[in-house]
Amino acid sequence: MSDKMYQPLSLLYRWIQENNELVNKCKQRGGGDALSPDQNKPHLRWCSSEFHKLLKKIQGIPPLADYLQLELTVVYNVCLCSTAQSQFSEAELLLTQATERVLQMTGDAPVASDPPVFWRTVINSVGDTALNPCVLYLLCLQWAIWLSTCQLKIIQECQDELFSVFETLSTGVWDEGRSELREKSSDIPLLVMDPRRLIELLQICTIIAQGAESLSEGRSSEALSGLQTASSLPAPRTLIAYTHLLSGSCLAHMSCPQMALQCYRKALETDSRCVCALYQSMLIYRQLGNTQAEIQGLRLLHSTLMLPFATEPALADTRLLSPSLLLRSQSLSSLLSVPSALSVLHNLALKCVHHGRVSDGVEYYLDLLAVLHSEDQHGVHAEGPPLPSLPELYLQAGAALLMARRPADCMALCDEVITTTLELLPEKVVLAEPEEKCEAETRALCAEGDDRVAMLLWAGAAYLLQGHCHTQLKDWKQAVTHYTRCFNLLVKARFKKGSFQPQIPSADMVGKQGTDLCILQKLKGLSLAGRGISFTQTDQLREALRDLQLSMQAFPECVSAGLWCGEVLWRLGRRWEAAACWEKTWSFTPQFSVE
Amino acid sequence: MVPSCVNNRFKTCSVLPHIITRIISHLVYSVNSVSSVTYAVSLFFFFGAAAMEGRCAVETWAVGLSGTSCTPRVKFGLGTDVFFCTGSDEVYVFSTQERKLTAVLQFPDPVSDLVGSHDKQLLYVACRSGVYCVSLQFQLSRAPSSPADASSSLAELKIPSEFLVVAEEGVLSVLLVGSVFLTLSQTDTSWMLTLYKSSNYEMLSSFSLPLVSGVVHSDTEGQTAMRKRPVLICVHSNDATPPSSSEATLTDGHVRLESVLFKLLFGIDAALAKSPVILCGLPDGCLCFLPLRHPGSRLRVLRSLEQPVVFVGASVVMERGPGHAQCLVAVGELGKVVLIKTDKGGSEGGGNRTGFIEGCVPGPVMCGCVDKNCLYYSTGSDLLVLDLSEGLSRREGQEKDEETSRKTEAALRSPTSLNVCRVAALAEPTCNTAGEVQLLGLSVRGQLQRITLPAGREDARLSKEPSALVGRSVRDLLSAIGDVCERASVLKTAIKSKNQILRHLNQVLNISFLLIASASSEEHLPIQEKPIRCHGVTSWSRLLQKDSLNLTCVLDNPSPYILERGWTLSVAVFPLSYPPSAGGESSSTNFSFPFHNLHPGETLEVSLPLAAAGEASFPMTVSCSLIFSLASLLGEEAANLPGLQSSCISLPLNTLTVDWLHVLQVNSPIATHKKATSQSNNTTDTLQAFLRSRRIRCSGRGEGGGESASKPEREYSASIRVSSELLRDTLLLKSSDLDAHVQKWPPQNVGLSLLEWMLSEGPGGVTTGHQGDKIALSSSVVHAQGPDGHTVKLTAKEVNVEEGSAEKEESQTAVEVQVESSSIAAVCGLHHAVLRRVQTLLQRAPEKAASTKGVQSLGLRQVLQRAEHLLQQIQQSRISGAFGVGVSTGQMTRSLLSVYRELRENPLLIV
Repeated sequence: MSDKMYQPLSLLYRWIQENNELVNKCKQRGGGDALSPDQNKPHLRWCSSEFHKLLKKIQGIPPLADYLQLELTVVYNVCLCSTAQSQFSEAELLLTQATERVLQMTGDAPVASDPPVFWRTVINSVGDTALNPCVLYLLCLQWAIWLSTCQLKIIQECQDELFSVFETLSTGVWDEGRSELREKSSDIPLLVMDPRRLIELLQICTIIAQGAESLSEGRSSEALSGLQTASSLPAPRTLIAYTHLLSGSCLAHMSCPQMALQCYRKALETDSRCVCALYQSMLIYRQLGNTQAEIQGLRLLHSTLMLPFATEPALADTRLLSPSLLLRSQSLSSLLSVPSALSVLHNLALKCVHHGRVSDGVEYYLDLLAVLHSEDQHGVHAEGPPLPSLPELYLQAGAALLMARRPADCMALCDEVITTTLELLPEKVVLAEPEEKCEAETRALCAEGDDRVAMLLWAGAAYLLQGHCHTQLKDWKQAVTHYTRCFNLLVKARFKKGSFQPQIPSADMVGKQGTDLCILQKLKGLSLAGRGISFTQTDQLREALRDLQLSMQAFPECVSAGLWCGEVLWRLGRRWEAAACWEKTWSFTPQFSVE
Repeated sequence: MVPSCVNNRFKTCSVLPHIITRIISHLVYSVNSVSSVTYAVSLFFFFGAAAMEGRCAVETWAVGLSGTSCTPRVKFGLGTDVFFCTGSDEVYVFSTQERKLTAVLQFPDPVSDLVGSHDKQLLYVACRSGVYCVSLQFQLSRAPSSPADASSSLAELKIPSEFLVVAEEGVLSVLLVGSVFLTLSQTDTSWMLTLYKSSNYEMLSSFSLPLVSGVVHSDTEGQTAMRKRPVLICVHSNDATPPSSSEATLTDGHVRLESVLFKLLFGIDAALAKSPVILCGLPDGCLCFLPLRHPGSRLRVLRSLEQPVVFVGASVVMERGPGHAQCLVAVGELGKVVLIKTDKGGSEGGGNRTGFIEGCVPGPVMCGCVDKNCLYYSTGSDLLVLDLSEGLSRREGQEKDEETSRKTEAALRSPTSLNVCRVAALAEPTCNTAGEVQLLGLSVRGQLQRITLPAGREDARLSKEPSALVGRSVRDLLSAIGDVCERASVLKTAIKSKNQILRHLNQVLNISFLLIASASSEEHLPIQEKPIRCHGVTSWSRLLQKDSLNLTCVLDNPSPYILERGWTLSVAVFPLSYPPSAGGESSSTNFSFPFHNLHPGETLEVSLPLAAAGEASFPMTVSCSLIFSLASLLGEEAANLPGLQSSCISLPLNTLTVDWLHVLQVNSPIATHKKATSQSNNTTDTLQAFLRSRRIRCSGRGEGGGESASKPEREYSASIRVSSELLRDTLLLKSSDLDAHVQKWPPQNVGLSLLEWMLSEGPGGVTTGHQGDKIALSSSVVHAQGPDGHTVKLTAKEVNVEEGSAEKEESQTAVEVQVESSSIAAVCGLHHAVLRRVQTLLQRAPEKAASTKGVQSLGLRQVLQRAEHLLQQIQQSRISGAFGVGVSTGQMTRSLLSVYRELRENPLLIV
């Protein structure tokens, strides 16, 4: 014993010291302040490379039982750092090397690459020695890697091993060792992350990932049971909220909307940042046809999305390996996606206008336009459905304003659209048949053509709205002017069907609803009707009759044109025809349309 | 360094000095001759006119340090300030009002781009490690103004890392748009455009575009190549009101575009949202754009130039007629010019369309800038101007046919030269009060230049007669010539001295290359073929009753170059291994010998003390190198450059090893006997040595006799066996080479000759000094005294190595060299030295087809087994030592020693 005093510090001790210093540095930086993961990256990279260097040194000597424990601890630390940096293949390689060295030490022959068999052999060969927990930690890491790379099948296969790891590590065995270790902590190699925290995290994340997978494959009831047991596990709030959310989605799939709503509510109660639950419940209300609740939900969703995004203060120990790193499956992310705040606001505005809450809708539209014009708005990436193009938004807002009896504002908006598009409007444009549109060779050309058609329609609609505004103001002369402009613009469009020459389209050509052609015809009909009505108001009955009749030709479903046509005919004293006209008009079911 | 203001007219004309000297000589011979004066004047006119014609005035304002890691950049900054960086890690601030550099900002990394914000007086600088934000006013007020700098008032500021605002690595370009700060960086596979809030540098969003690899890789071979900076500008629509009133004038990197073209290029949405659009010209040839304020917008490609984009700008106005539209200009590195403009309704009758006009100018284009209707660009060798309006108007006038489009290309292809060379970066052109266009350029060498274009270039080109010069009087011209003459003579002496220095430098470089080339191919060359080398001679000398060992180093210069003033021979002496008492530090001693001229074939001899007896540990490594200090090259001028004092070139020559055999003092009975009468002093020494050696021999015999444990003194020994045949071959060959008369050695003398050879000659250029009185060895036993005073015994005897196989008794004779001494250090050292000698012997051995008579199979196996066993022992003790478990240090040392001895005492036969 006495001569031990004189000899230099043994390598084993030095390496343990080095490892512990690194671990402390790693934890210090990671745990202390609220750095974003991005800012933490260089530090993590540095830690990882330092651990690597240390491992290289340790692995320079043949595997001996004395220091294999240290080696495995360092391997655990290195792999955790690598995994946290999403370098999975590198981490996996290290794991394989380490386990091979374990086998080399125990003298067992290397085994097949089948993961469950392999790990079973490794655990058995180590037996009940001090190395056992170390090997189990490594298995945990392997689990984390499988989870991050979405290899759920392998996890399924290894379920027994993983479960036993869970059992072993969560029972007292670990605690015993731990308390013993604490007494002389300078001799014990430290770990960058408590394996118990890691395994808890892995457990719940696995259940969530598996649940999402079965849900997307349509096995809802199967997923449900697992998720419901998971909701009582010890885990971060976010993850618990996810289990509730996924349970809700399962229930929704199993057509139990009310129970689904309950689950979503629980998710929100658990984690108030779980916007997705709010969104999903909104969708359920929409499905149920509960418009009031849907609008309420949209409003809540929007205000939640507008809240400043605050990162959750992660637990010090789970900081290295965030749940988002472990939950990367496609099916889960599609379940968790939420449209952008702008898209929600637009939806809200549209819903309000459609459901008779015009004044609210107008306010939302104005909010939306204000946000779009603000300097703080910088093309933030949005998932989900993209917003309609800006001119369309303008026109929608204009229509809402018109409905809210604010014609001056509406006209201003339409002016904007017209001035922007006017210079670019083509002399004539060819509308192609929809089937023809998607041919590969003409796609680029079509795209340009589409642009032009869209522009034409925007400008036409803007003129139409302006005409409506003037009508509302009872400025019949101006109204006639704008309706005329609209009509003049619309006749520039030619329709091309098959290989025929482009021609002026007529009502019988309209095939499907919602196509450009349909909109074109509708606009034509409405503008003519509007002009006809204006002429009627200024007692130019002949012109009025011509326009109204043309309008009915272009767009037979136009109710007001029919009614007014009857009126004009009545006034002209052609009562018989008037009656026929009215009768014909009433035979159409009244339709509501807003462009 | 360079005169601050040099008129380009004088500088660029390289033939001018010749002309001037001719003029001067004319003047000397016939001072009053009118004809010579007219000749001079006419010459002057000729060159003056040549200079006037197409050239513009260039004023060099300041010089910055040029770097190579990034393309240089020059920008107009706050008020009258100009910022420029030349690719190094410094940014210079130049005040155009005071006409001098006001500040140098030094950053930790090479600067790639910079942008200034006008309102807050901030300067954003992109470096390799991230973007720094510096408040200039604050920095300047804080800068310590030392008295030395007071006269120049040049503030040198080191920017610390606290000013790092965006820690994004590899930012190539930066731009400031209102409250948004943009960075463009390149990853392995994509371009990343990242938006930050300029108030708190919070990241807003980030966009990526995949890299088009083909173009980039073709011209930046290797990672060391200069990283090209992408062009990053912001385009505003003409009818969009600027977001804040303070931004009424467009700042650097922002252009305004006519609204129709804006809408055509970037879409209705961007126009409706009044959003500025970011336009990037990337080194992979893509021209892409991003509407800044539009939800869900992506980076989209506008067009590909298929060559690195060097410049993107907007030609501001073409108000000549209603038909003229504004256009966007993009210039590629290889000279492709793309004009993007609005085409009025085409044949299909569909409104306005985007028109692209492509042309090609002779490249390469290094940088460019654009003003109202001209594109200025530099090819590195010339600055050219291209009239864009010409090309456009022709196109507008009569479109349709291809003929005109060809004309357009012709117009684009015929730029006008401005005769300014070496421009590497350009800032936006400005107009001075006289209506002249002024460009701000940065030359390749880091000079900031103001280039003033002649006011009416077109007119100047037409009227060629130098009518303005007629009125000048001859007297004025003569005085001007006199001034020039004076200047020329000063320049001449300067050139002469510079030539001298260059010649000197040439010699230095020749020698450097010679030595570097030989260093790189050292493995293949034997030591004799080194062009310049050292060899050494060791000798013992006695001074003040103390023996000391001297090494005479001889520097040989067989090369065809002279080693001139400024060279120093540096010799570093350090022990190959060092005693543990030294505390782990190897003590090396350096000697340097400056010398003047060493002509080809000459040698330089220097002598240095190696060690006093018993002090040093051998073997010693003597590494020689030649050092050239740059300060000596420049002479007095070097004093002005403080940085130069320490800079020098160090070229390693060869390394010599002085081993134990070199430093042995042989006690030869016969030799001493001869000299005994003359040197009594020596006799006592030898007597003592003799006595000592006798004693040792006795004890040695005791050991040899058997395992007698009762020995008072421990004797260490080591032996080496060399096949006698080998020795005979090599040593005989050697001696026949050396001596004219061929010595025939009787076979029994091989051991003796080996000893003789070992003691007299040395491998690696060191020889032993006692050749003068060549020791004739009488027997094959040598007693000698080592440097530490211990006596050593060298025995060389011929033995028969018997092959143990029973059937065939085959024996081979070998010479066994045995080293014995009471000092283990001596035994180790000598063993090492002997082995080295034998190694060189082996190298020298003639190749033989079948030299091995028979492999000593059994013996070999035994030896191998023994060696393996020993290796195991060593490993054991090392591992246990490493972990500090088990044995104590003393025990370990003992075991290692026994292993060592066992290894040394049972040598393998060297065949």
